[in-house]
Amino acid sequence: MSQPAAVRSAPDVLVVDGVVRRFGDLTAVDGVSFHIAPGETYGLLGPNGAGKTTTISIIAGLLAADAGEVTVAGERMGPQAVAPKRHIGLVPQDLAIYPELSARENLAFFGRLQGMRGSALSDRVAEVLELLGLSDRAKGPTKEFSGGMKRRLNIGIGLLHHPRLLILDEPTVGVDPQSRNAILESVEALSVEGMAVLYTTHYMEEAERLCDRIGIIDSGTLQAEGTRDDLLRLTAEADTVRLSGSAIGPEVSAALRALPHVERVDAGPHELTLLVHDAPARVAEVVTTASAAGMALTGVEISRPDLESVFLHLTGRALRD
Amino acid sequence: MSTVLAIAGTELRRFLRDRSNIFFALILPLLLVLMIGLQFGEDASARRALVVGTESPLRADLITGLQEADVRVAVRDRESALEQLARGRADIVLVVDDEAAAAYGSGDVGVEAVLGSQATAPLVQRQVTSVLSGLQTREGQVTALTSRGVDRALAEATLDDVTASSSAPTLVVRNLDEREQQFSGMGQFDFGASGQLLLFTFLSSLTGAATLIQARRLGVVSRTLAAPVSAFQLIAGQVLGRFAIAFFQGAYIMAASSLLFGVDWGDLSASLVVLLMFSLVSAGAAMVVGSLLDSEGAAAGVGIGLGLVLAALGGSMSPLEFFPETMRAVANLTPHAWAYEAFADILRRGAGLGDVLSELGVLAGMAIALILLGSWLLRRSVARAM
Repeated sequence: MSQPAAVRSAPDVLVVDGVVRRFGDLTAVDGVSFHIAPGETYGLLGPNGAGKTTTISIIAGLLAADAGEVTVAGERMGPQAVAPKRHIGLVPQDLAIYPELSARENLAFFGRLQGMRGSALSDRVAEVLELLGLSDRAKGPTKEFSGGMKRRLNIGIGLLHHPRLLILDEPTVGVDPQSRNAILESVEALSVEGMAVLYTTHYMEEAERLCDRIGIIDSGTLQAEGTRDDLLRLTAEADTVRLSGSAIGPEVSAALRALPHVERVDAGPHELTLLVHDAPARVAEVVTTASAAGMALTGVEISRPDLESVFLHLTGRALRD
Repeated sequence: MSTVLAIAGTELRRFLRDRSNIFFALILPLLLVLMIGLQFGEDASARRALVVGTESPLRADLITGLQEADVRVAVRDRESALEQLARGRADIVLVVDDEAAAAYGSGDVGVEAVLGSQATAPLVQRQVTSVLSGLQTREGQVTALTSRGVDRALAEATLDDVTASSSAPTLVVRNLDEREQQFSGMGQFDFGASGQLLLFTFLSSLTGAATLIQARRLGVVSRTLAAPVSAFQLIAGQVLGRFAIAFFQGAYIMAASSLLFGVDWGDLSASLVVLLMFSLVSAGAAMVVGSLLDSEGAAAGVGIGLGLVLAALGGSMSPLEFFPETMRAVANLTPHAWAYEAFADILRRGAGLGDVLSELGVLAGMAIALILLGSWLLRRSVARAM
């Protein structure tokens, strides 16, 4: 997805500059910097524990940064800063809604927290319910909702007050394919309306579909960022090869790493993921080497370079849940 | 302020939305007020007589005489009356048979009596004897007048005039029993109502603390802080929400017990101030429990356990006046005991706001300490969860 020229020329809605956050000896976020323009969807892609949620918490003013600075719509953000929070709509990974209350009551409550009142609030609540496809279930307690309906409401609360920056933290975790697709379509529509979106995920296909630019984060560090094509160029066109099977010992990984056209090897419990240059021509040699090293192979899969390849290229590890 | 009210209003709405609270917060307290009132109220010391026999002047005069002596009288058949007596529901059964009814006109007054085992039975027996003695005297007077040629109706009217014109001697009874003095002026349901008000106000607050834990666990508290809401507003909203739940519970028991059982809450403004202070203490305790614990189940367990123990120690289940001295001192560590004393003064002794200032002061101190501790714990738990 390419970035429109109009978007690039507008002042950034979000600027994250050298943010650091430590928890004791652990540095959860280490010098992360990026920016998002109006109408742009920025993806933060990384595995669980990479530092995505901590970064989001700092941006949303829930956590203080130990170093660096976050600016939202030109205002400096922090836990004590109340005014800049009006520009943000946060959709947390947890279903942060009151289960005893109805969808309408939940929306109205969070709308009031945003300073909305009277008919402006009730009209907007009705509008968002319509947008979410929840108008006919607006009065029932949300504890009776399906997982997908709760996810949609969770997103609706973030959208309610027309924020300039919408932050979505893994919004499709645990969602059925139909609801997931509906959520992705909603996010696509938002960027068209000019809203800046920060989208964290560990699903590369979501990042590829939605995001104008993607930042790859691992171990609290932003490893690389750019458009999908920018990132793919980093892999020098290496393909991803997945070998599934059992008896994946360290000797198997070592034997494969020794092959000249194999760039990276990451061993999982039932799968080896490799970056291989010119994989279609080299796969037979790869399979023979793995078998000779003792691996009991059950399957081989070759895929063209994608964000998974980029992540493996940058970190030496596969992007898993 | 509107943000604080929005948070507080939502907490109260969540409490009312919980269907189990319809029974536990609205029905159960009133059932307990009723049961305690029936057990310990004035009904227990009422004197009751059952009369057996067909309608006759003797039966009518006996019933009238006993009722004038504040004895509750009911007419039953013999079998039913004896069964009621055996069950302890009456002090005495009086059998007015046809022979006794016939003899009454000739000046001979007497009935068969079966005495129960109640503590009040001998007293009722003496009252029956006194009434019968009075009837016999009157019959004797009527017979004496009619034997001298006076018409019976005129004789009875003359005796009525004599009775009406003579004034009975006044007897002033001074109660020297300290315990009875403490309970004098208390209505049948007063102890149950004030005790259950304190028990359920505190209990509902503590068990309601589970909703604060749920809000923290679900991330609603964090999401609230991601809106333009300061930590102070969040905490103030939560405190106000807990207070609203506690005050609603107490005010409901106050209103319902007044309407259903005729409980007189004395100086209403003073009673409401006591409830207000006690609700603040309850809100503070709920903040502490809701911020300290991380599991809703644990909060419900701790809430019920702590609520019942403190209520028992503080005189909500058994009057503080029955406590030995040491336990009375221990009771003063609970907010319930201070609120109990304040309500006792207002309900039984007609005290006003100025008379219960010391109790209110202690409750205010407890409320401030608990609210500050709960607010600090909530702030710490929110920071820890991020």
